[in-house]
Amino acid sequence: MTTTLDDITSTVTGIAAAEIGVQAAEMAADTDLRGVEGVDSVKVLRMIAKIERQYDVELEDEDVFGVSTVADVAAVVAKALGERA
Amino acid sequence: MSVQVPWSVLPDYRCFGCSPHNDHGLRLTFAPHPDGLQARFTLDRGFESYPGVVHGGLVGVICDETMGNLIVLDRHQPAFTTSMRTRFVTPLLVGRDYRCVASLRPDGGELFHACAEVLDADDVVCATASAVYQAFSLDQVRHQLTLGDDEVALLDQAITANLSPNGARS
Repeated sequence: MTTTLDDITSTVTGIAAAEIGVQAAEMAADTDLRGVEGVDSVKVLRMIAKIERQYDVELEDEDVFGVSTVADVAAVVAKALGERA
Repeated sequence: MSVQVPWSVLPDYRCFGCSPHNDHGLRLTFAPHPDGLQARFTLDRGFESYPGVVHGGLVGVICDETMGNLIVLDRHQPAFTTSMRTRFVTPLLVGRDYRCVASLRPDGGELFHACAEVLDADDVVCATASAVYQAFSLDQVRHQLTLGDDEVALLDQAITANLSPNGARS
């Protein structure tokens, strides 16, 4: 089974929304995570930890600290999954 | 319900992580968890890094200890850690209650892949870890262990006959 970028984006959106405390429908791929009210570096890290667990991947800190949007996170996950394949 | 680790058959085992006989250790105890194995812990200032903050290296020790004991309890094989990665989300605080939950990837072979989460009293994730372990037999590492023949036999029996993490005798 192939995991598409759209699938990853959808999953990342759900995890991010749950961590931030908003509805997934309120978020889009281009939502700037650090621009959302109440989001700090700890919430972003916690989100990353959950995503790593979900996909059983280890994301590089250089990538993690460079992300801004949901799409950025999805791209980093896709890259990690691609490297593992 | 706590789970007895196989090493406990050795009256004088001193594991820094889980022995009750090591005055300087963490004295972790374990309980079954639906995902694998759980250790609850509260650390005092003897394990401090920055004032009021638990030393980060010990978070790794606790994850490693919980994952390693899950392997020996679930797969009945002792294993050495070959690599481990820890993600620190928030500092753990001295005097606060935490729990570490370890689980195993359902694969076989010589290498075991495990992961662990440290959660606070509100079930918020504070740290995660993933690690790879290589199984070994006691015979393979006899030259590195300070154990007598009788102790090796005792430990071997405990490892192969011990209870699984969910309490079932396998």
